[in-house]
Amino acid sequence: TTIIGVTYNGGVVLGADSRTSTGMYVANRASDKITQLTDNVYVCRSGSAADSQVVSDYVRYFLHQHTIQHGQPATVKVSANLIRMLAYNNKNMLQTGLIVGGWDKYEGGKIYGIPLGGTVVEQPFAIGGSGSSYLYGFFDQAWKDNMTKEEAEQLVVKAVSLAIARDGASGGVVRTVIINSEGVTRNFYPGDKLQLWHEELEPQNSLLDILNAAGPEPMAM
Amino acid sequence: MSRGSGAGYDRHITIFSPEGRLFQVEYAFKAVKTAGITSIGVRGKDSVCVVTQKKVPDKLLDQSSVTHLFPITKYIGLVATGITADARSLVQQARNQAAEFRFTYGYEMPVDILAKWIADKSQVYTQHAYMRPLGVVAMVMGVDEENGPLLYKCDPAGHFYGHKATSAGMKEQEAVNFLEKKMKENPSFTFDETVQTAISALQSVLQEDFKATEIEVGVVRAENPEFRALTTEEIEEHLTAISERD
Repeated sequence: TTIIGVTYNGGVVLGADSRTSTGMYVANRASDKITQLTDNVYVCRSGSAADSQVVSDYVRYFLHQHTIQHGQPATVKVSANLIRMLAYNNKNMLQTGLIVGGWDKYEGGKIYGIPLGGTVVEQPFAIGGSGSSYLYGFFDQAWKDNMTKEEAEQLVVKAVSLAIARDGASGGVVRTVIINSEGVTRNFYPGDKLQLWHEELEPQNSLLDILNAAGPEPMAM
Repeated sequence: MSRGSGAGYDRHITIFSPEGRLFQVEYAFKAVKTAGITSIGVRGKDSVCVVTQKKVPDKLLDQSSVTHLFPITKYIGLVATGITADARSLVQQARNQAAEFRFTYGYEMPVDILAKWIADKSQVYTQHAYMRPLGVVAMVMGVDEENGPLLYKCDPAGHFYGHKATSAGMKEQEAVNFLEKKMKENPSFTFDETVQTAISALQSVLQEDFKATEIEVGVVRAENPEFRALTTEEIEEHLTAISERD
């Protein structure tokens, strides 16, 4: 899995690949790992699909109650804190890392990372899943404060596609969710429209094509 | 009841009088009327509406904290007539139940199931000695995915019925008479007609023209089945439409 959450100047962009695997087998190549918790809060799930799903289900239930009792939408902070509560209290049983992102009127766009043991960390951006190992250096170089919505989404799509190219447990399509004061937008980037990143993997018909081809270009940024 | 054939039978809710009545339950109905508020609900073709009085008993009270309209989920509304304190407890339990339903079964609790749940709780209060019935009549409303607009009324005895239109509270009987005439031909009201029928029913039984701030109007519409209370401005528009119509 590769999951990402990035803040920008008006909200947040969440991104994820779509591969669910059981060992070597791809159980689902078009999964949706970005799950809705409330109107304005979503969560990216990684690790055990079952564990992350059940945590999300409980948190959604608690947030429903919280929302109706307060008569206003729950904040991203409350959502993150509920996930933390479950992740920490059941740390011996759960194998899941989550990234919560959303928008609320008090704090605007916020991203919280909740890794394995149940810590909560408020972050300008967060990356998670097996594919994230390949992305730390990329984010150190490419992440900027105060990006526009378009810049942030492009960064997310590029990062997920980079991870898909290197990580065997990530693949399929890229899904994004953009959340800001206006509402929520979901986008979908099909796998065959993503950059391959390694030119040598372009399909070849014969050995002659390979020998006649120009030398490998440095990785295009 | 001071002395008479039913003497003593009003002390225990679990005991029938020789005439086969449960006095404590009857007193609960009386408590609903004594609160002095009348509520009305009307079901239209693609909407459902409730109207209730908003009496602010004290000039120093914050207007916004006085309400009888309660959202149970995003999609279900409840209007409580009677003892507000009892209503609040009922509403909290109903909200928890609806959220739990959504969690266990994975879809929104249907209006009729919630009404049944509320009624079943009220029924249990009529058989346990250490409890008392709630002094509340609850009208539950929503637009059902399969069955369209629904309006249910649950009372302290544990009855729950679906209605085309109904009323609760002090002027219940008068309002029901008014509504029976209006609903006789089985009209399929538009949204505006639904709201205006409900408001004019209340105007008619109270025999007064009230200001927009003196009533509360809750609606659910099929096109966007979320429960919401109309704003004072929206109520004003309907009041103007009614006075121009007559």
